Amino acid sequence: MRNKAAIFWLLVVLAVGAHQVQFWRSARLDTDVLALLPEDEQAPEVDAATRKLADQAGRELVLLVGAPDWESAQRAADLVTAELSKDASLLKPSVLDASSLDAALELYRPYRDRLLTPAQRTWLSRATAEELGGTALMKLYQPAGPRLTDWEADPLGLWPDWWAARASESTARPRDGRLWLSGEGREWVLLAWHSQVSAFALGADGNITTVVDRARAMVTSQVPGGRLVAAGVPLYAEAAASQASDEMSTIGIGSLVAVLLLVWLTFRSMRPIVLVGVSLGIGCAVAMSVTALVFERVHLLTLVFGSSLVGVAEDYGFHYFAARQGKPPSERGPLMRSLLPGMVMALLTSVVAYLALGVAPFPGLRQMALFSATGLVGAFLTVACWFPTLDTGALPETAFARRFAASLARWPRFTSNRVWWSGTAALVLFIVGGLWRIQTRDDIRQLQGAPAHLIADQRELGRLLGLPSPAQFFLVGGQDEEQVLAREAALKARLDPLVTANVFAGYRAVSDWLPSAEQQRADAKLSASAEAQAVAAVAQATGEAPTRARFADDVLTPERLLASPASAAIRQQWLGRLGEKHFSIVMLRGLTDPSMLPRLADTAEGLEGVRWVDKTQEISKLLERYRRLMGGLILLGYFGVLLLLVARFRRQAWRAWLPTVVGTLVTLAVFGWVGEPLQLFSVLGLMLLLGMGVDYGIFMLEHPGEGSAWLAVALAGVSTLLSFGLLGLSATPALRSFGLTMLLGEVTIWLLTPCCRLPPGKDVS
Amino acid sequence: MKRALLLGMLLVGSTASAGDDVISGVRARLADVPLLRGDFEQKKTVSGFKKPLVSRGAFLLSREQGVLWDTREPFASTLTLTRKSLSAEQGTGAAAYHLDASKEPGLAAVNEVMFALLSGDVAALSKRFRVEGELVGTAGWKLTLTPTDAGLSRVFKSIHLEGDTYVRQVKLDEARGDTSVIQFDKLSQTPPPSDTEAKRLAK
Repeated sequence: MRNKAAIFWLLVVLAVGAHQVQFWRSARLDTDVLALLPEDEQAPEVDAATRKLADQAGRELVLLVGAPDWESAQRAADLVTAELSKDASLLKPSVLDASSLDAALELYRPYRDRLLTPAQRTWLSRATAEELGGTALMKLYQPAGPRLTDWEADPLGLWPDWWAARASESTARPRDGRLWLSGEGREWVLLAWHSQVSAFALGADGNITTVVDRARAMVTSQVPGGRLVAAGVPLYAEAAASQASDEMSTIGIGSLVAVLLLVWLTFRSMRPIVLVGVSLGIGCAVAMSVTALVFERVHLLTLVFGSSLVGVAEDYGFHYFAARQGKPPSERGPLMRSLLPGMVMALLTSVVAYLALGVAPFPGLRQMALFSATGLVGAFLTVACWFPTLDTGALPETAFARRFAASLARWPRFTSNRVWWSGTAALVLFIVGGLWRIQTRDDIRQLQGAPAHLIADQRELGRLLGLPSPAQFFLVGGQDEEQVLAREAALKARLDPLVTANVFAGYRAVSDWLPSAEQQRADAKLSASAEAQAVAAVAQATGEAPTRARFADDVLTPERLLASPASAAIRQQWLGRLGEKHFSIVMLRGLTDPSMLPRLADTAEGLEGVRWVDKTQEISKLLERYRRLMGGLILLGYFGVLLLLVARFRRQAWRAWLPTVVGTLVTLAVFGWVGEPLQLFSVLGLMLLLGMGVDYGIFMLEHPGEGSAWLAVALAGVSTLLSFGLLGLSATPALRSFGLTMLLGEVTIWLLTPCCRLPPGKDVS
Repeated sequence: MKRALLLGMLLVGSTASAGDDVISGVRARLADVPLLRGDFEQKKTVSGFKKPLVSRGAFLLSREQGVLWDTREPFASTLTLTRKSLSAEQGTGAAAYHLDASKEPGLAAVNEVMFALLSGDVAALSKRFRVEGELVGTAGWKLTLTPTDAGLSRVFKSIHLEGDTYVRQVKLDEARGDTSVIQFDKLSQTPPPSDTEAKRLAK
């Protein structure tokens, strides 16, 4: 029976091993913070919009190379280009050059007559025949003339203005065959590259980051006053991957070394070390494989969080060896059978605690929950199926284990006297004071541990380039494409006064590049009438018979525009058909003052099909909602656990319950005193704390006065709090908060549980 | 915008030039003028018009401030280009247009080019154009400019300059087939700008 289980588990482990080899070779790891968040079921189009904006940027690397003068800036840009071109398998230049402008000119040329700026529209409908004729004549006779068309195709010279309006959406301008902008005391060259690397594997050395850093060093050392500002998802992803690698090693290896050291101190034998190590390794591998199979992509933060598993999954090995110590090898079969019920109970409570993290529909949390729960099961099955077979030799009780087991009797125990009561009063004051001060924060930044210099670069680049914000935009929906474009126009009419009032710098809308068919027809009519008057005036003045060129019969359609490379500028904003409706995004540039956001939200009021989306605020609200929900669940959990304990231990139930309650309160109080805000992830930490903390109390009540129980609890507690303590070092605020919560809570519970033990000689009954 | 710049560029373009010998030769033959005025005759061949469009008038170039280009025939109009703006007005007052540098950021770039030209920055000009030329006789010279910059070559095929102490003729071959020939006459470094002219340049 036991051998069958061992062989079965061996087969499972071999399968997992095979999967692991494949997994690490072609790891599809997620570094995107948005992947951690739940989808918005009520508004799938908002998710689609956000995702499209994020995908677009997925591989882009944008660089600004600046110097005090244009000559040096160009030299610096050449240095950077040379450096980035060295490895063609890593980065390729994005096309930003003149050929895409030529393609756009050719696409729009037949429709020139129906592309007008709002100012031109006003002027054309107001200008007299004399004014139109005079303007056409002056432009005709003006010395030299860079025109985009023949005179006949644009007698009033309207088209260059339309292009100037389109170009004003970016601060970059063509200059000497480069894209140039001037700002903050420097002249800049804009460079765009895209990454050739699709997925980000752990342990990657941050290749793109290295190349960019090298280019930056060259610019600063070889060009006086030179500066390189770089931003892009590849840099964030590489930073996240290398940070996660570091943290996984710190947490994983740190906990492993600590666990094995504890095993060595306690058992002084190689066999427990190897076996506990094997159970942890298999637990982690099973966790990884199951998570990778269930979820399409494993998130980096899952792996970082998962590293703390080492400090929890050792429990079963500890329990086995603590009971096995000093007993002859022949007893190990029956011993395992006698331990199994307790171990299964412990496993179940921990697994339930972990799975409770997955109650919130956050894909990221569900990954972490599944990872930890399956990891525990994997470690447990290894202990249960393999340990009795593999653990053959003798294992004498060590002096350390004996001395430690005996230490329980000397541990202080709560008794009703003045010292204990005044201590309790002080603790209550500390807790009340701390709770009074506690603050909350629900902010997407808690999920983001990006290095400060990357964020600073991103800001500087956005400022210089006047890039639109990807987190705040208008979503415009309609029955068909024409309606979407018309509704955009209605929205733009409301936004224009805000641009004039400098609330933000400008907007980017598809309808600027592709007016609605109705607008195109109206503009074609307007320009035809105005230009006919202009041509007639010129004919009269010159005595010749020039004619106005013919234009396309139909309007420019979305299909035509999207099929052309000229649509690059607006493709990411055109969502097309989603379900029953069509959607587009109107983005805002130079939106720097958050206090203006409510005004923008008001702008969409009463406009049919227009919706203001503030992703940052939505995420904050989501995090807040779940923080409150999980907080309520924890309260319920405490009462549920209390009921269970009362059912089992009657009047002694408080001895197992109180340490965890106090642990939770002390953690919250410390957060309050040191000013660490309470957030969703610290609340989730409290939930896990409830699941694990109560176990110690149960164990002490089940085996009152038994040294080996105390030994097992102590070993388990030390390794658990070490793992979570190391998680508290994470650069990701959410994980740090989680780790700190667990660390503070575990220490308090671990110290208090033996204080609440039964008096010597008594038991629960 | 650009077209006005090019006008300014061409009028002073002669201070910068080509292949080392020719460049220094042309430079030596050109007068260094902070102010230049004279008459012009422009013949434009434009597709859709059978005969060349001829216009005549007077111009004023102030190296520090800008260019005034006043047409007298076939109709009266004024064109003013300064660092801040471009404006044109018909003599009858019937039509006018105005461009602001703050609204058209390209104008700032244009000005920088002008400064490069005015200060005889050969390097700047040869970045945008391939410059070829020859010295003619004891005082004359000819230059051919071919744009190397994608933006400029969308507008010009080539530009031909001829002159001696001053630029005497400019011929523009536009990319779309139109051509312009501008002849200068009665060139002089005096008198200084009148009050009206100074006011226009100060805009």
